[in-house]
Amino acid sequence: MLTTISLSLLVQALVNGLLLGLVYTLISLGLSLTLGIMGVVNVAHSTLIMLGSYLALELLQRLGLDPIISAVIAVPVFFLIGVLLERLLISHVARASQTTGLLVLFGVLVVIEGAAILRWTTDTQVLSVSYINASLTLAGIAIAVPRLIAAAIALVLVLLLDTFLRSTLYGKAIRAMAQNRDAARISGIDTDRLSLLVFGLATATAGVGGVVLAMIFPFDPQDHYRWLAWAFLVVVIGGLGSIRNTLLAGLLIGLIETVSSVLFPFQYVYFIVYLLLVVTLLVRGQGLAGSQSRAL
Amino acid sequence: MSSVLLERGRARTRWRRWLYGGLGAAAAVGLLAVLGVLIPLDWVTTLSAVFMYILLAEGWNILGGYAGYLNFGMVTFFGVGAYTAGVLCTQYNVHPLLTIPLAGIMATVVALLVGVPALRLRGVYFAILTLIISFLTQVLVTNLDITGGASGIYMPSLPFDPFTNEQIFYYAFLGLMLLAVLLAFIIEHSRFGYALVAIREDEDPAEILGVRTTWLKTQALLLGAFLAGVAGAIYAFHTSYIEPQGTFSLDISIDVVLMSLVGGLGTWQGPVIGVPLMLVTAQVLRILAGELPFFGSTIPPEFDRVVFGIILILVALLAPYGVMGLVRRVRGRRLTV
Repeated sequence: MLTTISLSLLVQALVNGLLLGLVYTLISLGLSLTLGIMGVVNVAHSTLIMLGSYLALELLQRLGLDPIISAVIAVPVFFLIGVLLERLLISHVARASQTTGLLVLFGVLVVIEGAAILRWTTDTQVLSVSYINASLTLAGIAIAVPRLIAAAIALVLVLLLDTFLRSTLYGKAIRAMAQNRDAARISGIDTDRLSLLVFGLATATAGVGGVVLAMIFPFDPQDHYRWLAWAFLVVVIGGLGSIRNTLLAGLLIGLIETVSSVLFPFQYVYFIVYLLLVVTLLVRGQGLAGSQSRAL
Repeated sequence: MSSVLLERGRARTRWRRWLYGGLGAAAAVGLLAVLGVLIPLDWVTTLSAVFMYILLAEGWNILGGYAGYLNFGMVTFFGVGAYTAGVLCTQYNVHPLLTIPLAGIMATVVALLVGVPALRLRGVYFAILTLIISFLTQVLVTNLDITGGASGIYMPSLPFDPFTNEQIFYYAFLGLMLLAVLLAFIIEHSRFGYALVAIREDEDPAEILGVRTTWLKTQALLLGAFLAGVAGAIYAFHTSYIEPQGTFSLDISIDVVLMSLVGGLGTWQGPVIGVPLMLVTAQVLRILAGELPFFGSTIPPEFDRVVFGIILILVALLAPYGVMGLVRRVRGRRLTV
């Protein structure tokens, strides 16, 4: 009896972990793209995710829009935010030293976080949609509906992005730029404009990521560091090589989170993820920096 | 650092400059020492905070400024210091004065354990690792029994009246700050300091030319950690209550970096200039916040974080060597080799 209960708990944790992993892949993609293609470590990435969550909240509270629609709206909105950020700051950062870039992006993080506290205070928020507590039961496994929708949106976006980078001329040019920026430039690729596109796309994934995260977890302006750590862990484990590797790493982190939350009290999940990140950074952090070539 | 090496000025002018510098410093120290008994209570408290941040920033500057390794988790050592003092004092009945050096030692041990592997990473990856380690420490402290968990530790208070208490902390922070500034000055004009700058400029050639980079970086980190640990311990007694959210706050790490950056990375004067500048800015912003209309309501205190972020961006992009960089440019000297 006891074993069947814990077995079904474990299966449930696995399913939940995979769903969560899809969302984690989405929130990590932008970090991986900017690092792999532009060589910029965007520590402000998680604040953009947080802004995505608040976009969903505002649209829900003001216009009654479902987060599914907000996820669609977030794409152009955050693409524009990304383009603006790139023009105003990142293009300067990319030319400066890496540490200067880090300081600037930390500044961006502080500004966005501070502005979000001014606008929305530090109160914890939830998206109170009608189906927030609904769940489907399939073969004895209960799956929360918001989590299912979030994972579906994440999967669609990840696949779209993968297809874009693999099968379009723009994607090909971006891959060329990732492999060798100078050579790409010599071949007639406008790398400055592509940087704009890449950062826009990366920001768009962060924004949608924020919307779907808000469907699963409560949020406030200051807990985004958690997602920064999670996204970094996915990037460090998955490497910069391909979206598929990022997907595998994302699923792995999702599984690690849900399985460890079955085995240990909740607060140890943070501890485990931070520790994993420390260890993986030590083992392959510098390797990441060295391998600028990107196959996708 | 180049000023001493490259300047071929006559020995007499240099001697005179040192004399004036020494006299100026002595006058400033004398003034600060006298101020402690003259000025009102809230000023004493404000200046204590300035001294504490200078102490932290000078410690951070050894590795971050001279060697260019940006530690975004300075609060780890500060918090470990505060908690070492708290735990030893409340649970093991160690004399408060004794806990302060022990806190420094504990912070150094932690730096040795986590920092030495971290120093294998460079640039951005070192910064991120130190950031994550500060989160890790915070989670650990929040969940351990010995640290009192999320509810924190109440520190014993000193058996004096409030004003005397504040003065004691004023002089404690002042003394330690002076030691830290002196240490930074000595480092800047020593072979140790030159070697750290060599690491910042280009680590691999420095190593090839015989700089023991690993050992020197470790020393720089440990020195900074010791200062931060001591600062944390005194902070713990000063605030009389420590809990993981505030004591391990990322704001402290970022402020230390920002203040050093604004003053001038890799100069002993940098923190001395940057810290008061930023703390005064924060204070002015808080006063302004009470008066300026902001979308129909008053500006909440978090306003200063936004301004700090903007300053961080602008200084990093436009004046990466801070106030000292501007001063040296005006004086027509080069900051780096």
